[in-house]
Amino acid sequence: ADVTLALSSWLPPRHPIVVNAIKPWAKDVEQVTEGRVSIRVLGKPLGSPPAHFDMARDGVADITYGLHSFTQDDRFKGSLLGQFSFIGDDAVTSSKAFWTVYTEDLNAREEHEGTHLLGLFTHGPGLLHNNKHRLETPADVEGLKIRVPSSYVGTLVDDLGGTSLFMSSTEVYEKLSRGVIDGVAFTYEALTAFNLADDVKYSMTVPGGVYNTTWFLVVNEDQWNSISPEDRAAIDAISGLAFAERVGQAWNDADAAAREELADSDIEFYPAPEPVLTALQASARRQEETWAESLPEDEDGLAALTRLRAMTGVTVPQ
Amino acid sequence: MTAKRIENGLMGLAAFLLLALMAVTGIDVIGRYLFNAPLSGAFELTELLLGALVFVALPLVSRAGAHVEVDLLVSVVPRAVSRVMGRMAAIVSAVVLAFFAWRLAVLGITQVTDGARSVSMGVPLAPFAFLGALTCLVAALFGLMREMRP
Amino acid sequence: MIESLIALVVLLFLVFSRVPIAFAMAVVGAVGFAWMRGLDAAGAMVGSAVFETGFSYSLSVVPLFIFMGNILAHSGIAHGLFAGADRLFGRMRGGLALAAVLSCGGFSAVSGSSLATAATMSRVAMPPMRRFGYSDSLAAGSIAAGGTLGILIPPSVIMIIYGLLTESDIGKLFIAGLIPGALGVVFYLLAVMIAVRIKPDLAPPVTDPEPMSRTDKMGVFGTLALFAFIMIGIYGGFFTPIEAAGMGAIFALLLALMMRSLSRAGFWMACRETVISSAMIFAIVIGAEIFSAFVNFAGLPDALVDLIYEMDISPWAVIAMMVLIYLMMGCVFESLSMILLTVPVFYPIIYQLDFGTGLLSDPENVLIWFAVVVVVVTEISLITPPVGMNVFILRATLPDIPLGVIFRGIVPFWIADILRLLLLVSVPALSLMLL
Ligand code: NA
Ligand code: NA
Repeated sequence: ADVTLALSSWLPPRHPIVVNAIKPWAKDVEQVTEGRVSIRVLGKPLGSPPAHFDMARDGVADITYGLHSFTQDDRFKGSLLGQFSFIGDDAVTSSKAFWTVYTEDLNAREEHEGTHLLGLFTHGPGLLHNNKHRLETPADVEGLKIRVPSSYVGTLVDDLGGTSLFMSSTEVYEKLSRGVIDGVAFTYEALTAFNLADDVKYSMTVPGGVYNTTWFLVVNEDQWNSISPEDRAAIDAISGLAFAERVGQAWNDADAAAREELADSDIEFYPAPEPVLTALQASARRQEETWAESLPEDEDGLAALTRLRAMTGVTVPQ
Repeated sequence: MTAKRIENGLMGLAAFLLLALMAVTGIDVIGRYLFNAPLSGAFELTELLLGALVFVALPLVSRAGAHVEVDLLVSVVPRAVSRVMGRMAAIVSAVVLAFFAWRLAVLGITQVTDGARSVSMGVPLAPFAFLGALTCLVAALFGLMREMRP
Repeated sequence: MIESLIALVVLLFLVFSRVPIAFAMAVVGAVGFAWMRGLDAAGAMVGSAVFETGFSYSLSVVPLFIFMGNILAHSGIAHGLFAGADRLFGRMRGGLALAAVLSCGGFSAVSGSSLATAATMSRVAMPPMRRFGYSDSLAAGSIAAGGTLGILIPPSVIMIIYGLLTESDIGKLFIAGLIPGALGVVFYLLAVMIAVRIKPDLAPPVTDPEPMSRTDKMGVFGTLALFAFIMIGIYGGFFTPIEAAGMGAIFALLLALMMRSLSRAGFWMACRETVISSAMIFAIVIGAEIFSAFVNFAGLPDALVDLIYEMDISPWAVIAMMVLIYLMMGCVFESLSMILLTVPVFYPIIYQLDFGTGLLSDPENVLIWFAVVVVVVTEISLITPPVGMNVFILRATLPDIPLGVIFRGIVPFWIADILRLLLLVSVPALSLMLL
C-alpha cells in the first residue's frame, strides 16, 4: 500500500462495534482504494480512551474513535445534540440523523479541528435500570443512587430527586452487586456486556431513549491530505452517512442479541409511566434550552434538535 | 538549604494528599451505609488526588535516590568508572524529566485553550499539568544535585 | 519487529549503565516513537502518558495498600506475626527463616503489594536472623521470596489491575489466589528445610524462640482482624476490592492507635515511605506506558499474536509460550508494568483457546486460572536478576549486603517457584476449586 494508516482501538477486541463496524470498514477502505490505502488496527491502544481524539489530532495515531463525552471541554458543544433524551429507538436512523444534522446545522467539522471527520454516530436507546422498585412517580427515584454516563443524565437524575454518581463503566458490576449503587443508565447491550443481568430487576424505557451517547471516527488531517483526491473521495463514500448506517446496524444487532439473552432473565422491562415521563421531559427541556443558549450566535440548537427528532421519528411526550 | 525546605514542603503536601485520598474512600463508604449519603464526587476526587500525589511525590523519589536502578556492575568495575556511569545516568534522567516538564507545560496550555475540565465536578485540568511540569523540573534538579556532588 | 528488538537491546544497555529503569523505558520509547512518527507526535504521546497515568481510579490501590502495610510495619503489628511464627518453628534448624516465610505469608493477607510485604518483613525478621548468625543469603532470600506472596494471597494490587484489564470478577480472582498462595508458603518452607539440610552452615543450630510480648500477641490478633475486615467487607458486599485499599488503611490506622503502638515519628515514617515508593512505582508505570506505545506501534504485540495463530499449536503450547515470554520479560520488567504491557495483548488470545471439556471449557474460568499463572510468573520476576524489585527492597533496607549475595540466596526459592508454577499450570483445579 502507498499509505498505511494506524488505527488505535480502545474497546475490547471482541466488542461488537470493533468486530462488526470498525474492522469491516477498515477492510473496505483497502478494497475501494484498490490497496493503495490500508488500515492497520493496532493490537493495543496507544493511550487512554479519553486521549483518543487528541491522539488523532496530534498524529500519535492516524485514525481513532471515541465518545464526545469522554472529555469535558468547550470543543464538542454541538455533539450534545445527540446525547439528550428522546433521540431515537434505532441506532441506524439516529446515527444517520446525528451525522446529517451535526455536520449541516452545527459545524461538526469545525469542532473536530485538526482531523478529517470520517464518522459520527450514536448507540441504541439508553434505559434506566435499578434493582429496588419500578419508578411509578418521581418520588420513587428519591434516594436511589444511580451511575450516570454524562453530566446531562446526572442532572436528569438529580432533578428527579435521585443521587447521580460517576464512575467508569467497568466499575459498575462491582458497585451494583454490592449495593453501592442501586441503578445505572445503560443500553441493552451494556447490560449483558458488563454482566449485570442478575443485579438489575427493573428497566425503564422511554420513547427514543432516556439518553444516548455520541461518537466520532476521525483521521489525522495531514495524513488524510497525503492521500490522493480520488482515494479520499472513495473513502468518504464509504464513511460519513454510510458508516453511520454500518455502525448503527452493529449497535442494533448487539442490542437485539442482548434482548434475546435477557428474555429469560427476571428483569422487568416497562415503559416510563406518565408522571415520570413528564418530570423527565421538564428536566430535559431545561437542559436543552441551556445548551442551545451556549451555542454560537449563528447556530440554532433547538431547531437542530427538532430536525433530528423529525428524522428519527421520535415524538417528545408533552 | 533551599532544597531541604522544598523537600519538606513537598513531603507535607504529599502526606496531606495521601490522607485525603484515604479519607475520600472512608467518607464515601461510611456515608453511604450510615446516612445513605455517598460522596457523589468520590470517583473523580480519588483520581484528582492521586494525580496530584504522584506529581508532588516525584521529586522526593529523586531526592532520596529511590528510583529503581540496576547496580550489579558497580561492584565489578573500578570506582572511577562507576562514578562516571552514575553521572551519565543522572544526566539521562534529568533530560527525560525536563522533557516531561516541557510536554506537560504544552499540554497545560492546550487544556487552557480547550477549557478542559473534569467530567462530573468540572475541576479545570490545566493546573494539574502545570503542577506536574514544575515538579518534574524540581525532580530533574534534585537528581542532578545528588549525583553531581563532588 | 526489528525496531522492537533493537529497542530492547538499547534498553538493557541503559539499565545496566545505572539509568533508572523508569527513565530508560521512557527515553527508548520516546526516541523510538519519534523515529517512526515524528517528534511532535512523540511529544504529545509522552505528555499524555505522564499526565494521565496518575489520574487512574484503579491505581489508587497502589498508595493505599502500601500505606496499610507501612502503618502495620511501624506499629509493631508485623513483629507480632514474626514472633508468633517463630514459636512454631523455633525448635528446627533454620527456624527463623521458616518463621520469616510463614509470617510473610501471613502479612500478605493484609497487604496488597509484594514490595510492601518484603519491606515490612525485612525490617522485622532480618535483625534477629543476623543476630543469631544466619547467613545473609538465606536470611535475605527467604524474605525477598516470601514477600512475593503479597500479590497472590488476597488482597492484591495486581489481581485488581488484571481484573479491570480483562473485565473479570475481582472477588473471584482473590479467592483463586488462596490455595496457590498457601502452596507458595509450603514450597518456600520446604525450600528452606532442604537448603539447610544440604548446607548446614546457612543457619545456626537451634535457637531459642524469643518470648512473645503483649504487643506481639495483639499484633497477631490485629492481623487476623484486619484480614477478616477486608474479606468480610468485600464478600459481605460492604465495599469493592478497590475501596478495600482505603478502608484497610483506615482500619490499620485505627488499630495501631487503639493498640497505642504507633508513635508520631512512626506515623510520619509510614507516610514518607508510602509516598516515595508509590511515586517510584508510578514513574515506572509511566515509563512502561511510553515504552509500550512504541513497541505497540512497531508491531510487536501483533507479531506475537500472529506467531501464535500461525503456528496453529495446542492451547497448552500457547500457555507454555506465554509463560516463557513472561519468564524472559521478568528479568527486566517491574511487576505492574509487565502486567500492563502484556495482559491486554494476551487475554483476547487466552479467551479464545479451546481446552475441550472440564473446568477450562468455560472461558471465564480460563481467564481466572490464567490470572493465577500470570501472578505467579510476576512473583518470579520480582526475584529474578537483574531487575528483581523485592531483592532491591531488601538491599535498600540493608545496604551492606551485596546484591549478588541476595540473588544467590534466592536460588532455592526460585527453584521452588518454578515447581509451583508447573503444578499450577498443569492442575487448573488448584486455582479454580474454591470458586
Ligand atoms: Na496480599
Ligand atoms: Na526481574
